[in-house]
Amino acid sequence: MRMGGGSGRPTGARGAAAGKDGKGGPRKKFFVRRRKVCKFCAEKIEYIDWKDVKMLQGFIPERGKILPRRISGTCALHQRKLQTAIKRARSIALLPYATD
Amino acid sequence: MRLYDIVVLVTPDLSDEDAAKVVAEYRKILVDGGATVVKEEPWGKRRLAFPILRKRDAYYHYWQVESAPAAVAEAERRMGLSDQVLRHLAVRVDEELTRAAKMAERLRLKAIKRPPRPASATGAAPGEASPAAPERSES
Repeated sequence: MRMGGGSGRPTGARGAAAGKDGKGGPRKKFFVRRRKVCKFCAEKIEYIDWKDVKMLQGFIPERGKILPRRISGTCALHQRKLQTAIKRARSIALLPYATD
Repeated sequence: MRLYDIVVLVTPDLSDEDAAKVVAEYRKILVDGGATVVKEEPWGKRRLAFPILRKRDAYYHYWQVESAPAAVAEAERRMGLSDQVLRHLAVRVDEELTRAAKMAERLRLKAIKRPPRPASATGAAPGEASPAAPERSES
């Protein structure tokens, strides 16, 4: 949702996107899905810094959980890196484990 | 020698100067152990994402250090023993950074070989894809 501007395809990062990219067309009828693009592929961020709280917060919804890939559109490789980054940040209280 | 990111959280009960003293202590341990400080950033008093020992904020201090593992291990051990340190984290980052740099380099080379396709998706793709395929295997 926040990923926005989904029209441009991340040309350089297709290898990293693990090839499993068959979600081009709309799956359900009557729905026009916006194409989700991995933020890190699009911006060519390779190192996901666990100290960059502002960036990580974009992947933490209100409840404090990690935003799933199916919603954010992050590719598998980067989601894995994002996951460790968030978990590191949590361990020193930069990010919450849970909130309500 | 390995590259580490180290963060310490010092109790907010101390004054600014006392907290700086505690931090300097650990810095000394690291340096005495043969580490060289690459980056040092006091992040100051920050709000914690959740309370730790009933405290709502803490002094954060960050180093990036090039060091042998032993010095970092010793510093971490002492941090764990101290009551003034709420949390600490040391992460080895050199491998991750080199891997990221390698990936970035690979992407760059790929972008040179195959320029980004124009916004209008008119044909062209099949003719473009076939010469690119054998080239990719050699990189």
